[in-house]
Amino acid sequence: MKRILRLPRLLRLTLLFFIVLAFQNCTEQKIKEGTDQTVNITDYLRQNEQYSMFLEILDLTNYASFMNTYGTYTLFLPTNEAVKAYLKDVGASSLKEVPIEDLKNIAKLHILDQKVNTTDFTDGKIATPSMYGQYLITGASNINGISSITVNKISSIVASNIEVGNGVIHVIDKVMRVADKTLAKTIEDNPSLSLFTETLKATGWYDKLNVPINKDDKEKNYLSVLAQTNDVFKAAGFNSLADLKKRYSHLNDPMNPKDSLNLFVSYRILPRLMYLADLAITPALETMAPLEVISAKLDKETILLNEEVFNGVLEKGSSVNRDLSDITASNGALHLVDANFAIKKRLPAPVYFDFCDQPEFRKLTSIFRTAIGGRQSLAKSQFSDVTWDGTDVITYYKDPANGGTVGFGWHGDCLEINRLRDGNVQNIAFKTPVIIKGKYKVWISYRAQTTKVGLVKVFFDGKELPRQINMLEFVNTSSIPERVLESQGYKRHVSPTSSKMNCRLVGTIDVTTTARHTLTLQSQSAFSAQAWFDVAEFRPVDMDQLYPKFQAGGDGFAPMP
Amino acid sequence: MQTKIKTILAIFILFVSATSCDNYLDLKPQDGIVREEFWKTKEDIQAAVVGIYSSLLNSPPGVAGDLPMSEYLFIYGELRGDMIAPGANVTEDERDMMNSNIIPANDLTSWSPFYRTINYCNTVIDLAPTVKDHDPTLSQDQLNHYLSEALAIRAYLYFTLARTFKDVPLKLTATLTDVDNFQLAATPQKDIFAQVIKDLKQAEAYSVQSYGDQASDKGRITLYAIEAMLTDVYLWTDNYQEAVTAADKVINSNKFKLIQTGSSTWFNTVYAKGNSEESIFEFQYTTSNLGPFYNIFSLRPEFLASANALEDVFGIDFTNPNNKDIRGEYASIVPGSNQIYKFIGLDNNTRKELQTADTHWFVYRYADVLLMKAEALAELNQGTEALKIIEDIRLKRKAIDMTAQVADPGNKYDVINYLMDERAREFAFEGKRWFDILRNARRNNYARMDILIDAAITNAPADQQQTIKAKLKDPNSHYLPINTYELYTNRALVQNPFYK
Repeated sequence: MKRILRLPRLLRLTLLFFIVLAFQNCTEQKIKEGTDQTVNITDYLRQNEQYSMFLEILDLTNYASFMNTYGTYTLFLPTNEAVKAYLKDVGASSLKEVPIEDLKNIAKLHILDQKVNTTDFTDGKIATPSMYGQYLITGASNINGISSITVNKISSIVASNIEVGNGVIHVIDKVMRVADKTLAKTIEDNPSLSLFTETLKATGWYDKLNVPINKDDKEKNYLSVLAQTNDVFKAAGFNSLADLKKRYSHLNDPMNPKDSLNLFVSYRILPRLMYLADLAITPALETMAPLEVISAKLDKETILLNEEVFNGVLEKGSSVNRDLSDITASNGALHLVDANFAIKKRLPAPVYFDFCDQPEFRKLTSIFRTAIGGRQSLAKSQFSDVTWDGTDVITYYKDPANGGTVGFGWHGDCLEINRLRDGNVQNIAFKTPVIIKGKYKVWISYRAQTTKVGLVKVFFDGKELPRQINMLEFVNTSSIPERVLESQGYKRHVSPTSSKMNCRLVGTIDVTTTARHTLTLQSQSAFSAQAWFDVAEFRPVDMDQLYPKFQAGGDGFAPMP
Repeated sequence: MQTKIKTILAIFILFVSATSCDNYLDLKPQDGIVREEFWKTKEDIQAAVVGIYSSLLNSPPGVAGDLPMSEYLFIYGELRGDMIAPGANVTEDERDMMNSNIIPANDLTSWSPFYRTINYCNTVIDLAPTVKDHDPTLSQDQLNHYLSEALAIRAYLYFTLARTFKDVPLKLTATLTDVDNFQLAATPQKDIFAQVIKDLKQAEAYSVQSYGDQASDKGRITLYAIEAMLTDVYLWTDNYQEAVTAADKVINSNKFKLIQTGSSTWFNTVYAKGNSEESIFEFQYTTSNLGPFYNIFSLRPEFLASANALEDVFGIDFTNPNNKDIRGEYASIVPGSNQIYKFIGLDNNTRKELQTADTHWFVYRYADVLLMKAEALAELNQGTEALKIIEDIRLKRKAIDMTAQVADPGNKYDVINYLMDERAREFAFEGKRWFDILRNARRNNYARMDILIDAAITNAPADQQQTIKAKLKDPNSHYLPINTYELYTNRALVQNPFYK
């Protein structure tokens, strides 16, 4: 010590400096080198003891390392209790006793390769199929006052939206089971569907519903069946297959696809995977019966099939039984209906579609078809049945009867489209009222202009019709007989005739399904003024194409001459 | 010489260091006032109370990310009801809330603006009484008036929180330092309601009947605003006789009435201008302090009226367009476009401009007190009187026959249905609908769950309706989850079990 003190001042200072320096350098600073501490799915399972059994499944099937790679997955994770219950169900004492193929299927069924949060769940299927190929359906259930989100109807979610590095985890309380029965077997196993099963077998549809989905096929041919129970058959007066044959089988050959009993069955089979949530949002359901559709609509909570207002008469539909439906089979979904329904045989009837008759316009009560009238524009987003390209608005335009600009049209109103052209309003598509299948002539009437408009092409269900409308062309008021004009594709559609309006036959269409269809108008040049459309008439080809005429400015038909 | 220079230098250094010391060591903020210097005069109390009101209008300076309080009140009161549809600019969180698809990460479940203002109130309640020691000109009456304002606003906010989140942390003292305990467990809803009633009773005793001018009478808490709040809380706690008594205090004051003029003038007076004779308490937006409504309803519409609201709620007479409820077309809703008009219109024909869109937020109006009284009467089996109130309002609002209902006065079920429908018309988009639905549904152990389910499925997306219905059968789902962030910062909180 004394020696140190004896050192020159400068040296002592230097020594002190080095000592301090030495202490400072001793600790190495730790820098985090990773960017993210979040664990991936497998690591998450390893960290949480309560999921050890599902982890064991992943380990046994060699999926563990795969589930730890980066990606976007959704895992429905059964708790250990759930896996134990599954083991008890299959009669195994440990996971090792379960065939490895089964474990693989189970594991794959619980994994989706898209990240799906519970906020994306609907009443129906999750848009992404599971890795197994089967779709999972979601919903919610209430047990003793406690509601839970459910998956595949039986598994309740106990913890949701757990974010991990490679996706999201939802913990469920029951292991989901692979649906291994086909639709045909599922139906057959339900004793209350015995008559339906018999009918399926008699018409040959049983075998078609018994074909499992080939997983390697790109086009997976899922089917959905709308079955009905023996009680429903009984209520409609059918107690046996014989009764059904007597009523429907007009060719006495149910195996023939043209036989009505065969059609009766094929009308109940939808060529797609449709859960109730899909039915609720699809207005017309395609069926396996050629060109026949079932209309579906949601009335409060009930899904009604084939309920239509037709010619002002409400035709009652049959409702789908919610509790017994949404049954998943390996090749589709099964639903039960509450009442017998059949293909509706209808003859073509005329449809007069006023372009202004949109529910959104009808709400404008101060102008809609009032004596004084007025104009009001609405944007695309407000319409349920009209869409178009471009961001401009379209306008309801009503003038006093037989006056003003459009007062000569039917109801004295027209749909006004200012600048029907690219960028403003183009390809405007209207959903028509229900048109019964059959052949129709299509007449479009409009209010003509002298300049700044031009030709308009008309499309029906996307198919171009042969004639275009010339919006510059006024009605022919000469003494040429109307039948002659008709033969040339013109007519005076309102009475008394107005020189301002015109009506053009745009073509003959073959409507193949009874449903609502789409009528599209496409401008052929850059219109810089308003185009005014009045009515689209769909008249069956064998009907008189001139009469009845519309009352100009009024709501009904003009008296026959 | 050397010594002289050294001395001068030493003096100089001493001088410099001595003068700078003062500021250098000062820890007080330079852009604010510290508590020790505040709370000295009655003007300080007034400033603090005005600060409470101002925090209700828009977020205070320096706070970013929160919506204005009135927008939260709108969102909590309307989104889960049956009269709202998403607009073009709706956010994902808002849409999820409309579809009962709520998760704790939803930003709209943040309650921080509520607790911020509650803390402002707590600060006034804690510290204002100390001013008496410094300012002899502050009378006890004046002090009480200020306290009644702070107590009533705090009560209203807790009331709203308890209606929205069910159990919430109850903090009744000011948070003044960082050593305060922030780990606060939630207090059960019924205890919150009890505290709200206690606070309102206290506020009632301290209250002011009039501040002398119309704007203050409608923009600050008066006795009548307190009575209106009390009526509301009593309805939630099933104390119907007390509710009638509180409502009668407002009605018998004869200071309020339902204005009867032409439709356009009525709308202009009550809504566009505000502070009318119909009004009891409003958030006072001005042209220099605008509300959020013009933006969310007109400029970048986040919310629209639901597609059938005009027809279903107000009714449309398709045969006579002049026969209409003055509360419907161009008062609540723009026909056709379904925009919400109440907060953006000047009168039945003109809209306000962005710069002048200062329509207030209406917390309580006279009609509310009348209909709340009717509800209490209906629950007390005095259906005849309840129906009389409804009919009187319908007459004055020119409600159309199509929306009239024949209710048997002895049938509580019918009377409540009629009342709910009338409330939907009267308070469309005023942040009341969901609370009306919930209050009536939950009564008598959820005897009227049907009201809630019906409302929910009216506008539910067709493919989610069944899920929504099943979810709502769980009473816990009627309350919002505690936001993830709050759970993270306050470990004493427990999440609502529905949001697992």
